Amino acid sequence: MMQGVNTIIGIPSSVDLDAQLMLQVREGDDGSFAVLLEKYRNPVIHFTFRMVQDRAIAEELAQEVFLRVYRSRQTYEPTARFTTWLFRIATHLALNWLRDGKKERGQHRLDDDRDGEMPAREVPDRLPSMEQRMVYQARLQEVRDAIAKLPDKQRAAVLMHKYEEMEYSQIAGVLECSESAVKSLLFRAYESLRSQLAYMANGESK
Amino acid sequence: MNCPYKSDETLLDYTAGRLSPDKAATLDLHMQTCRDCAALRFEQTAVWGALDAWEPAPVSTDFNRRLWQRIDAADAAPWYQRLADSFRFGNWKPAFALTAAMLVIAAGFVLDHPRELRQPAGAEGVSTTEAEQVEQTLEDLQLLHQFDSATAAPKQM
Repeated sequence: MMQGVNTIIGIPSSVDLDAQLMLQVREGDDGSFAVLLEKYRNPVIHFTFRMVQDRAIAEELAQEVFLRVYRSRQTYEPTARFTTWLFRIATHLALNWLRDGKKERGQHRLDDDRDGEMPAREVPDRLPSMEQRMVYQARLQEVRDAIAKLPDKQRAAVLMHKYEEMEYSQIAGVLECSESAVKSLLFRAYESLRSQLAYMANGESK
Repeated sequence: MNCPYKSDETLLDYTAGRLSPDKAATLDLHMQTCRDCAALRFEQTAVWGALDAWEPAPVSTDFNRRLWQRIDAADAAPWYQRLADSFRFGNWKPAFALTAAMLVIAAGFVLDHPRELRQPAGAEGVSTTEAEQVEQTLEDLQLLHQFDSATAAPKQM
């Protein structure tokens, strides 16, 4: 199965742990692929879900991401961080899906799929009232809508910045643009989000 | 407003909790006097909190099993199936490259064999056959003429 990473011979120590696992996959070790899958399955699915806002499509895209990672094992070279490469594949697939207008075709699923989401985060009181739940759901919907309204690249940048806690340089690596371009994307994206969501800070209804 | 923080990422980093304690303290001090930055921080913190509330759907329990099935199927698939699969989800770059390569090859062939391609298909074959037929007919006529001459000669004798 998987070797300890410290015992791997011939791999430069500067290569990150995930890239070392991927190099093991290249050598035919499917166990290392299973480790990477276990580690990044949820982040990738959550990212694609927030990009396309459809659970079934998000999982299909994530399957494609890991399938491509596996199929690229023979030619894999650790030229960048593994997560940069992984999220570059995920972002390309999600952006392609959005670009091809499949979003419109699957729009009905957005409403059908609400019950597929995590249960609403409980408010501090033991049992939230029906009204509190409704307010919470309405606000959650506004967050989803605000994210969905962002241009695709801005959305990808925000999701990586906020939920994956990526550095600007890594987001730039994923989106294949400069760090200053990423900062500009984020600046404009958060500006849009503030104009739509900042009223929530006052506990007001829109 | 000429505040240096308004147009850079410092406030984003501040609300994301990614500023070093020193820098955060400096910004805290600044915001005591800069109302715009204080308002921006307030709004950005609200956005950050709103985004925190959005949790994604749980992952299907059979995700890994389905993936391994697809991996096995992909490994066993013929090359053309794998090629077709690579174009899924709008990944048309390889298709464009392939089409461009085929066009270049076709253009090269056309430039290399201009006369063969300009002539309508079968045209040369038809003209060759017609010439052969005319030639054959003339030969036949000549033979008939010789035959007639040969048969006519004893009568004169």
